[in-house]
Amino acid sequence: MGTMTAEGARAARPRASAKVADAVSRWAFMAPAAVILVAMLAYPIFYTIEISFARFDLMTFSAVEWVGWDNYRHVLDDYRFWSSMKVTLVYLAFALPLQIVLGFGIAFLINADWRGRGTVRALFIIPMVVAPVVAGGIWRMILDPLWGIVNWLIGLAGFAPLDWFGDPDLAMAAIVIIDTWRWTPFVVLIATAALLALPRDIFEAAEIDGANWWSMLWSITLPLLVPIIAATFVVRWLGAVKMFDIALAATYGGPGGATNVINLFIYEEAFRSLRFAESAAMAVIVLVLTMVLTGIFLAGSRALEERN
Amino acid sequence: MAGASAAFAFAALTGTAARAQDAGLGTADAPVEVRMIANEAFANQWQTVMVPEFNKHYPNIKVTIDGVPYVELLAKSMLDATGPSPNYDIIIADDPWVPQLAEVGALMDLKSAEMAGWTAADYDWADFNAAPLAAGEWKGVQYGVPLRSNMLMMFVNKAHYEKAGLPLPTPAITWQEYLEQAPKLVQDMDGDGKVDAWAIDTYFVREPLTPTIWQTIMNSNGGRLLDDNGKPAFNNEIGVAALETHRKLLEFAPTGAVSHGFSESLQAFRQGLVATMFQWGSVFKGSAIDPKTTTLKPEQVGIQVMPVGSTGPGAHRGIWNGTVSAKSEKKQAAWAVIQWLSSKQGEAWHSATLGVFPARKSTLSSTPAEPWLVPVFDALQQAYDAAEKGQMWRIRHPRSDAAQQILADEVARAMAGQISAAEALQVAAEKIEKVLN
Repeated sequence: MGTMTAEGARAARPRASAKVADAVSRWAFMAPAAVILVAMLAYPIFYTIEISFARFDLMTFSAVEWVGWDNYRHVLDDYRFWSSMKVTLVYLAFALPLQIVLGFGIAFLINADWRGRGTVRALFIIPMVVAPVVAGGIWRMILDPLWGIVNWLIGLAGFAPLDWFGDPDLAMAAIVIIDTWRWTPFVVLIATAALLALPRDIFEAAEIDGANWWSMLWSITLPLLVPIIAATFVVRWLGAVKMFDIALAATYGGPGGATNVINLFIYEEAFRSLRFAESAAMAVIVLVLTMVLTGIFLAGSRALEERN
Repeated sequence: MAGASAAFAFAALTGTAARAQDAGLGTADAPVEVRMIANEAFANQWQTVMVPEFNKHYPNIKVTIDGVPYVELLAKSMLDATGPSPNYDIIIADDPWVPQLAEVGALMDLKSAEMAGWTAADYDWADFNAAPLAAGEWKGVQYGVPLRSNMLMMFVNKAHYEKAGLPLPTPAITWQEYLEQAPKLVQDMDGDGKVDAWAIDTYFVREPLTPTIWQTIMNSNGGRLLDDNGKPAFNNEIGVAALETHRKLLEFAPTGAVSHGFSESLQAFRQGLVATMFQWGSVFKGSAIDPKTTTLKPEQVGIQVMPVGSTGPGAHRGIWNGTVSAKSEKKQAAWAVIQWLSSKQGEAWHSATLGVFPARKSTLSSTPAEPWLVPVFDALQQAYDAAEKGQMWRIRHPRSDAAQQILADEVARAMAGQISAAEALQVAAEKIEKVLN
């Protein structure tokens, strides 16, 4: 028994040292990425949190004095913060479903095998690579009440010109249109890949059973795509909640504050008004809300995947 | 006495030491390089045209100018100037930014003993008009000199007045007369039965410069932004009436003008769509003279001070100040650059070559290099006088940008009809009082 134990101990020592060496080598490979991640991601977040609880001194450009929840109280007392949050919710409520429906709809329509499909897909990428500020500027020209082509076409049809950037509802519609123009192709690309990955045998079996186009779409394609749709929604949600540059270029947040989304308000308070502490507090509030909502969406997405 | 002597000796020694540390004006073998941060709108033009001219006088100073978009310029200037070793020796600061930069200790006192030793004997400070020079001053210290002077002016397309059968406006036109004429200037210019011309375009959009129009109307009627104690003083009958006048202008402006700002109003005027425009005077050359940028003819365009209120004509100051970074190790060379450009000789060259508006009385009273500058100089001198009399400039305070943004938000809500003028000014006054305290 004693011999056995001694032999076991001798065998265990190399195994233990091998485990340690393995862990060290793994961490050695991970360390550069971890350090970069902490430096690039965690540090700015913690610094923003620190600033949000401090008085920000412009002379040293740093947080100098702990003020507790003061900055948060100022922010929550400011009607402009709540107004911007409401504007952001309206924008998200219209833009996200529209992009998902359009993206998957277009993907379904162009999914058939036809010549030139690859070229069309490549062209779809163009709006995504246009800088948001440029996209906002271009669309501002397209929708301009005096010189824009859209109002010219509306005039040809016999209708009165629309004041796209002067009417609060139309200005919000303009922002949703521009954002949808930019990001629907992204959804189309994901949806196309998802459609191509669907198992063919199920559709062949359905065809043999006499299922028509609608039945296959409603009973097979959509249920199989639900997890992908949910995941795409979460990805687009994370992108859309950050949007401010299109509003900055197209409407300047107006008319009044009708398109002043929360990130545009944060940007203006920080870099125009130089109120970095209050802006940091707003950014933290938005970060927490986004994390909570993203968590809910991810849980919903997981539930949908498990159901399938 | 001995103490005073010792102090003087110490000051002389420290001054000498400071100069010894400074890179001076450079030599042919060892040129000195200074870096400037400026608005991208004119940085490139300065780099390619102004710097070569400057180097004819100071060949051993190499100037590198970094252009930055306007909206990022203040934050980047602050960030750089407050760092341990700033990149920039010269900061080109917009009119309301000098207090903010001065308050954080980023700028040199241009009249300090150290800088005075590097100032040419014929650099005539008294020759500057008071209004533009005051833009570079904060708490009695001169931190900047005017390099690009600008004023909000009234531009006139004379063809529209002739078509409407109205007399051309003069600098004596009042706001009341202007508003009485405005409906007649909304007209059909080409005779196709549709309205294709409007009376006015200017700033209406939600942005920090839009309140300057309201403020100018208010100032010309005796109103003020802040009282002597630095408290908001605009929330009264004069302020409300001025904001209602600003909003009334929308009735005579092109469709969609509520989203118009600098670019849109300029485009409308240059396309011949509007009879008048309240705009920065520096756009005159591109609006009246340069056929590449305007459809209008020089004889068609007039420029004058904005209409007269109960206390006088309106104007609004917008000065780009040349300042020297307090932490620069090349202060002498940096000051040489902005001193030359703001000198009588440099300013005359700047105005004649690039069409930039001068701030010096001597330049404005001289015969301009170009005939089109004659009416411009006349109007500019009137605008300087009006601005000085009515304190027609934005809030001067270390937090002036925050206050201006609040004004932009509330004026925009009033413009869009979301709240009344009185409500807008009430909210703005409450918020600005908190911010400035």
